[in-house]
Amino acid sequence: MASDTFLIAKEDRRLRNGGASVDKVFLLILLTLLAIGLSMLYSASSAQSEYDTGYEISTRYLQKQAVCAGIGLVTMFFFSRINANFWYRAAWPLYGVSIALLLLVLVAGESVNGARRWINIAGLQFQPSEIAKFTMILLFARLTRSYGADARKFRYGVVGFGAALMGILIPLALEKHLSAIMLIGMVAVVMMFVAGTHPKWLIAGALAAVLFVLVYISFMGYAGDRVSAWLHPEHDPGDTGYQILQSLYAIGSGGLFGLGFGKSKQKYLYLPFQYNDYIFAIICEELGLIGALCIIALFAMLILRGFWIALRSRDRFSTVFAAGLTALIAVQTILNLCVVTNLLPSTGIALPFFSYGGTALAVNLGEMGVLLSISRQRDQTKIQEGIL
Amino acid sequence: MAKDKRKDRFIRFRADTGQHRRILSVMAALGIVAFLPVGLQLYNLMVSHHDYYSQLALRNQTRTTPVTADRGTIYDRNMNILAASVSVETVYLDPHELKQSKADIPAVSAKLAEILELDAQWIAGQAVDTTKRYKQIAAGVEQDTANEIRSYVNENGISGIHLEPGSQRTYPSGALAAQVIGFTNASNSGSEGVEAAYNSYLEGRQGKVITTKGNNEMDMPYSYEKYVESIPGCDVVLTLDATVQACLEKQMNAAIARYDVQNGAFGMVMNVKTGEILARATLGSYDPNNYMEISDPETASAVEQLRHQYLSAPSGSSLYTAGKEKFQKALNEALLKQWRNRCISDGYEPGSTFKVMTMAAALDSGAITLDTPFYCKGAEQIPGRSQLLHCWRSTGHGAQKTPQALQNSCNLAFAHIALSMGGETFYEYIERFGITEKTGIDLYGESKGVFFSKELVTNTDKWGTASLTSGSFGQTFKLTPLQLVRAISAVVNGGYLLEPYIVSEVIDANGNTVLKQEPTVLRQVISNETSKTMCQLLGSVVEEGTAKNAKVAGFSIGGKTGTSEKIDVLDENGQPTLDKIVSFVGVAPIENPEYIVLVALDTPSRATGQYISGGVMAAPTVGAVMADILPYLGVEQNYTQEDAAGQLFVMEDLTGMTVADAKKLVEKQYLTIQTVGEGETITGQIPAAGESIAGSSQVLVYLGEAEERKTVTVPDFKGMNRQQVHDAALSLGLNIQVAGNDEISPKVTVTTQSIPAGEQVAAGTTIQLYFADTSAAD
Repeated sequence: MASDTFLIAKEDRRLRNGGASVDKVFLLILLTLLAIGLSMLYSASSAQSEYDTGYEISTRYLQKQAVCAGIGLVTMFFFSRINANFWYRAAWPLYGVSIALLLLVLVAGESVNGARRWINIAGLQFQPSEIAKFTMILLFARLTRSYGADARKFRYGVVGFGAALMGILIPLALEKHLSAIMLIGMVAVVMMFVAGTHPKWLIAGALAAVLFVLVYISFMGYAGDRVSAWLHPEHDPGDTGYQILQSLYAIGSGGLFGLGFGKSKQKYLYLPFQYNDYIFAIICEELGLIGALCIIALFAMLILRGFWIALRSRDRFSTVFAAGLTALIAVQTILNLCVVTNLLPSTGIALPFFSYGGTALAVNLGEMGVLLSISRQRDQTKIQEGIL
Repeated sequence: MAKDKRKDRFIRFRADTGQHRRILSVMAALGIVAFLPVGLQLYNLMVSHHDYYSQLALRNQTRTTPVTADRGTIYDRNMNILAASVSVETVYLDPHELKQSKADIPAVSAKLAEILELDAQWIAGQAVDTTKRYKQIAAGVEQDTANEIRSYVNENGISGIHLEPGSQRTYPSGALAAQVIGFTNASNSGSEGVEAAYNSYLEGRQGKVITTKGNNEMDMPYSYEKYVESIPGCDVVLTLDATVQACLEKQMNAAIARYDVQNGAFGMVMNVKTGEILARATLGSYDPNNYMEISDPETASAVEQLRHQYLSAPSGSSLYTAGKEKFQKALNEALLKQWRNRCISDGYEPGSTFKVMTMAAALDSGAITLDTPFYCKGAEQIPGRSQLLHCWRSTGHGAQKTPQALQNSCNLAFAHIALSMGGETFYEYIERFGITEKTGIDLYGESKGVFFSKELVTNTDKWGTASLTSGSFGQTFKLTPLQLVRAISAVVNGGYLLEPYIVSEVIDANGNTVLKQEPTVLRQVISNETSKTMCQLLGSVVEEGTAKNAKVAGFSIGGKTGTSEKIDVLDENGQPTLDKIVSFVGVAPIENPEYIVLVALDTPSRATGQYISGGVMAAPTVGAVMADILPYLGVEQNYTQEDAAGQLFVMEDLTGMTVADAKKLVEKQYLTIQTVGEGETITGQIPAAGESIAGSSQVLVYLGEAEERKTVTVPDFKGMNRQQVHDAALSLGLNIQVAGNDEISPKVTVTTQSIPAGEQVAAGTTIQLYFADTSAAD
């Protein structure tokens, strides 16, 4: 048919140009979130900044975050022009580099708050676990394409993925980086599910993880404290329950409409980590239930659009890669919200695009660039066939 | 072909439908479902529990500093301060802060120890206990001392030493009226007496400063400071008169010493017309400034010994624990005993003082008249009583009429009075006299004594007459001293039962009267006529009856003595100890009563050898109180010549006067003038102007140039009666002032004299002689 010929010709032209334009809806949601995120970061961190600088500067944290946001946006633009094939080929080498960096951290890492998670390379300070998250997703996407229908088999779906996962989790366990392990583990489970690993193995694995956590808690005092503080924060309001109670005070006093932008009281050093892990509590206090739900809605839209990009994607690798990257944002967001609202015990997972933390923001934006690049290579056939 | 191949490649590596399906479910799970619990939780926290968390957040973000309210002052009726608050400060350390600021603990401790006069090592020990953030090292620190610490802290920039303003209660009069005034506990809240009963007025309301502050004292925009002013406590004005109280306590203490009273004493002075309490004392008392200190030295050393005993036992041993328990019990008992206001809290057996009510009831109901005859043969079988009823005088009082029955305090006569009145009438009057109810005094801890049940008194067919007859003369039941005083007041004040009160006014800090108590008449118990008759009878008890020792020159006093055995106090063998409470209730002036004075001495020692009775011991004590307070209270004195003889007056300056003028001037004191020499005007006098002189005695005046002084030797007056004294003094030209019992009777003799026998004195010198009737009983 003439129309077919026309479509194929159009497709060819598009591929030669590196695909169609990026998904503008996704980009719009993302930029909106980033804008709100930076505004809220300013509000949440201003008191701390003033305190740190002796009431001189209120934008100290905002300045650093804004620079990283700029770097992240440039990275995002750059990655959005890179074809998925590049990532496909880079999967194994990057995986190797990640493991090397994770191991390097154990030897040459910088200790922050008693844990060695940071590394300093050429003046750039970052957590290798941020890179590891990305390369894990990348490798799983590549494996999914290689395994195809074999993913259903134990040998591939469990042993194959499992071995790849362990390569990252073991160095992280040596770092005692619990939150990264949890995050990567959960994203891995989502990706294995998508790849086709039989759910019974995933359930068994999840149960094993829960069992491990229980044993871990009973042996490690400090994690056990976290759980008791989670269940009964009011029992020790001055110490272990302090963090979560202060968070609940902030959220609860927000009410329906909030105290107004910038008018949080809890941010005046009552709520620790008010500008990173617990920034959402300040959002609730200032913007109220309505504002908080709007922001949650934006995250939900971003996540749905991310999976939509995955579904529309041209090939299996891109689909799973996009789904994994979206799942990473989704899991981080959900875990953070659950911790801040005391649905889960405290873990130390930041809220993407909101929490203070330059490398995390830059890496997140870079990952979004990859998603945008995938969104350019949408499958016209699917669109034409009306699947999507 | 090439195009197809490329298309194939796409299709070959395209995600299969299973993967699409699974992505859709992940999409639903992570994009929608996972957010639902978060949304619900947010709704729960921000809407359902908004108020709860707002409150907590507000409390979290604000600092409340209490501002103490000044506690009100307690005044007596003449606005003398009985209890007041002074500003003091509490010094405490924050060991954590001291450590953080790297303070030089030994130096700081030494300096604090020096200022506060404490042990430096102890302070250092407190300062290093970093488990606490509040270690009090001194309380009740005076302003000057506190300022010294403050300047030391400021000059050296020490952080971790804090001062907290507060207030401390002081009682300038010490133990005076201690049980009435009470004291405040460590938290400055009244716990006994007026301090407790009027605590809500006295304490005022604590103020506070509420400030919003960021954590770590960070300044915060949108912050506010709210100041809730403290409201100072109201001042309380008592009906109590500190002077009267002091007189009462002084005389009671003297009596305790004189009669070796074993178990303390209680007494009070009340206005019979208004119910105002002018004085009320329970001795052995305590100092409310140190209310935890046992004031009785014997008890204190006994308790201290118990403490030493258990402390010397090995810690943790059963001997230690048992000993500690015993010590604490003894300590508590001793403290509770000295704090106790026996005048309102404890019942006692009134004995004969109760006969006043029985007689008033009988006269008022018409059961007897003043002429009703009684015969007392010492003991009698009363119908309805199983045991023979003995009168206190075993030989009997013989034939008497109503007045003599009261003067003699004849138990048998009173048994007959009660029988003729009947249980119904008797009990009705008892109730109307308020013996079965609390008086309603405005203090905590009032009891109402223990009277017979109505059935026991009225149904004599069933229960016999024992309760009725014993009740008639005040035995085998208990009432509080206040109940007795109130009932006798009703007898003498025209028949009106009053509600006694101790606080006349409560005044707030702005001077507004918040509460004013007025005399409250509850009911009329007996008629005005009966009351008048009773006054005469009570007067005759002092004039002619058992209470002669209560006489006070210049004042007409009525009253009734009482002696009761403490039948419920048993010794170690379970036998009654026969310990006695001797008492006297006096009323003055008896023709128009204004004040009533009760003194009861609990357990005078047999060792003094004196006859233990109200007449011998309590009556003179009340007399002494009356002699002190009645002139002070402005009760008019009316001396007979005889009375004046027992009274000391200040000698007027007669020099320069004619003898006639001088005679006129000293007429009202019944002084006679004896002249020495010749002349128109007086040039000298003995005693000199300003000296004291007994009434009805002689003044020597020198006329003209005649300046001749006589000296005489003081004779031994001991053992002489009034007539003998009079004769001896007159012959020597000495003046005599009579103290003690001023009855002219061969039985009343001198026991002490103010100037020893054999001394040379100027003629006209006044010698004080103390007379006593040692034969007086009951």
